[in-house]
Amino acid sequence: MKNSIKIERAILGITQEDLALKIGVSRQTISSIEKNRYIPSTLLALRLSQLFTKPVNAFFELEQEDEVLI
Amino acid sequence: MNLKSIAECERRNLEKMKRYRLPFGYKKIGILVIMISIIGIIINKTSIDDNLFAQVGKYGILLGLVLISLSKEKIEDELVISLKMQAYTFAFVISVILTLTNPLFTYIASIIANKPMDIFKGMGDWQILWLLLSIQLFYFEFLKRMSR
Repeated sequence: MKNSIKIERAILGITQEDLALKIGVSRQTISSIEKNRYIPSTLLALRLSQLFTKPVNAFFELEQEDEVLI
Repeated sequence: MNLKSIAECERRNLEKMKRYRLPFGYKKIGILVIMISIIGIIINKTSIDDNLFAQVGKYGILLGLVLISLSKEKIEDELVISLKMQAYTFAFVISVILTLTNPLFTYIASIIANKPMDIFKGMGDWQILWLLLSIQLFYFEFLKRMSR
């Protein structure tokens, strides 16, 4: 799964530290999410969605290997 | 109270227990307890020949490790909880592997030292618990550094 949190953060003009404070996590967690090392919970994804005023799939995107074959 | 609400109450209590962590300050208390215990064991080995020091020291080290392991980080978020769980799993698997391979290491040591040893004596329960918690703590710190 890839994400564009870094871009969304740049649009809002906030640092990793600011974003972390706003959604109640550590700066380390934001850094890990941005580097695709950690996939956040639905709760955190929804908090980000609320902050960016965008739906979750506007900044989280499934990659080919994540997609379920129907 | 019907059966459904009892089950719901039990589930909520289990959830609370699962999430329960000691405050951050307990980490320092844990380190202090370990240090005092180690000093006690050293004193027991060098000057006072009282087994009580060694016995209390054994409990102290385990208590200290548990306090560190169960205490919260400065910022305890979902990433930290996930890393802690990974570290517990890793520590459990490694401890089992080390316990299973212990006779082999004892056998190699007996060949190197040219001294007969009881290869199936195994590790004591204290050593296994110390090992498990130590691996968990070190691996958690390693994962934390890796995720930066």
